[in-house]
Amino acid sequence: MELNICHLYPDLLNLYGDRGNVVTLARRCEMRGIEVTVTGAPLGERVNLADFDLLFLGGGQDAEQGVLLDELHNWRGAEVKAAIEDGAVTLAICGGYQLLGRSYKTWDGKEMDCAGALDVISVGQKERMIGDYMFQWDEPGAPIHIVGFENHSAKTYLGNGVTPFGRVLAGHGNNGEDGTEGARYHNVFGTYSHGPLLPKNPKLADWLLRLALERKYGSAELESLDDTLEEAANAFMVARLANE
Amino acid sequence: MRRLRVILAILVCKAARWGLRVLGRGGTSVPGKLALRVCPDLLGALGRQVYTIVITGTNGKTTSARMLEQCLENGAIPAFANRSGANLLPGITAEFVAHATISGKMRLGHAIIECDEAAFRLAGPYLDAKVVLVTNVFRDQLDRFGEITHTLNSIRAGIEYSPNATVCINADCALCVGMVQGLPNPIRYFGVETALFDDGEDGMAEMARCPACSTAVVYDYKTYGHLGGYGCPDCAFTRPKADVAVTAVLEELPDTVRVEVQAGGERRHMTINLPGAYNIYNAAGVIAVAEVLNLGMSVTAAALAEFRGGFGRMERLNIGDVTVRMILVKNPIGCSQVLRYLGAMQAPMTLVICLNDRSGDGADVSWIWDVDAEILGQMGERLHTVYCSGIRADEVAVWMKYAGVDEGKIQVEHDTDKLLESVASSSVPVYVMPTYTAMLEVREKLAKQYGLSQFWE
Repeated sequence: MELNICHLYPDLLNLYGDRGNVVTLARRCEMRGIEVTVTGAPLGERVNLADFDLLFLGGGQDAEQGVLLDELHNWRGAEVKAAIEDGAVTLAICGGYQLLGRSYKTWDGKEMDCAGALDVISVGQKERMIGDYMFQWDEPGAPIHIVGFENHSAKTYLGNGVTPFGRVLAGHGNNGEDGTEGARYHNVFGTYSHGPLLPKNPKLADWLLRLALERKYGSAELESLDDTLEEAANAFMVARLANE
Repeated sequence: MRRLRVILAILVCKAARWGLRVLGRGGTSVPGKLALRVCPDLLGALGRQVYTIVITGTNGKTTSARMLEQCLENGAIPAFANRSGANLLPGITAEFVAHATISGKMRLGHAIIECDEAAFRLAGPYLDAKVVLVTNVFRDQLDRFGEITHTLNSIRAGIEYSPNATVCINADCALCVGMVQGLPNPIRYFGVETALFDDGEDGMAEMARCPACSTAVVYDYKTYGHLGGYGCPDCAFTRPKADVAVTAVLEELPDTVRVEVQAGGERRHMTINLPGAYNIYNAAGVIAVAEVLNLGMSVTAAALAEFRGGFGRMERLNIGDVTVRMILVKNPIGCSQVLRYLGAMQAPMTLVICLNDRSGDGADVSWIWDVDAEILGQMGERLHTVYCSGIRADEVAVWMKYAGVDEGKIQVEHDTDKLLESVASSSVPVYVMPTYTAMLEVREKLAKQYGLSQFWE
């Protein structure tokens, strides 16, 4: 078995340790003997997204997202949208999550179109929402506590075309108002969670891998791994946030 | 009236500092704040009397300041410096007060002030610096502003408040070079004109964009991070010629490095009394400042060969028979450089990583995942054990596992006392990499249990 990961904009969306997610996906494949490739698709570099099983977008500085929007409008946005409609497993964090949405309005009222691949809109605020946070993810049946670190100035609101990724237990999540965190659509997982997300949420990492394998090979059994260290890191933050 | 205010503020500051010491606490922030409340212009009144050298930038401020202190000492120029990381406005003020008489006269003629970028903007108008050294600017999410433009603007504003300063700029940092365009100040450039690593490439693949037209710059060579020899493919922006250039790395030893330096028309070999690529840059910046001060190359060379690293900057101490070196880590670029240095060591070692997430460290610990830690996984038998400690010890353990460190070598130890027991009984040299507040904690315990000196002494 083999999985191909595409890391979109590793040159621009790379400020908050989010590459730890790609490392985690790749290592958890290697530990199971699943072959894995990671390909970067920086600004201006065309790749065929249909060749990839997993797409990843991280967060970056606001200042760097303008030049990126141009490229999304010109050609990349349509390609990403097509891949998502085709069921590509996609993890998008913070800035990457916002960019997949329909639009981003700055706090002083400037509205910018984004990729339009996710039915969400984001509205910039003056106050940033920063801190450790936690949300409950119900999709796997038994609810799972996901821990991470959020750092965003925009509030994101979900449209009818998506469902929330999770329910906020501590912190702000999408907007600090409606209790939702992130967005789910087809095989897309959009979230504000830096941290990075996957190293200390190994069940989510495996969920993404399983979805990707199922899409590619029809069915997939993931060999279970020793996650003692990962679960300890998760449990530490769950306990700390539960006490706050 | 103003004179009275100055005197009163000095008294308040000195008394508060003395009081804190009596209570067994270091620190300059509270005394400085109190003094500024009494006399907001206190720093101006004192600062105008001395020749101030400001050191700012993302990494290397403290080490550069220690190097420069030694240079001035060897050059018989009486100077003081703000130690113990007191690099915000109140701390800087308190440091000036400590070297002033009650009547407000400065006792020493020169000041070496390391200054956070934002503090430079605030303190700039009062300090009237004669030399400004900008070490480098790296992107850093722990930065309170989050935006590199903000950082650059702060430094530029600080320089604009320093019309009488000669500005020493890292020629290899396109961000710094772009930042000083159009300033009327005399500029001296320093840089490294040789790749610093065998592979000539840094894993983080950072690159700079042209400050004039935003195109990605093209590199002839890279040293680390986004530093190197660059030029813009679309416009005239290019690396300026360095007045002080490190032209070759001659020898790297565990505690020192020997380099060839070209400056002031002469080329000479110098020993820097600290290892690591980043210290080569620090030395180059200091040589540039020393030239402005007319110190003479032999004075500077002797100082660089004998200075002692600052607080947690490759500080060496012995616990019984065990050699322990402490290297403060604050951000991905600095931490990557430290790991690169450790990865190149031939002798076996034990590593201790203490990660805290208090405000002094940065609440967001995700930066560790931007570090090139894979080098640790490739060390094999040379890496005996990695102790993971600090508040976020569990996070460190996961990080190490995914960096490819053998799980059998990863030891989680939340308890600092037990950690130090393990360190003391190590059979190989120990390298401790703490974040800021973790370092304070480790030092305090070391002081208590092994009689090592307190940090504010």
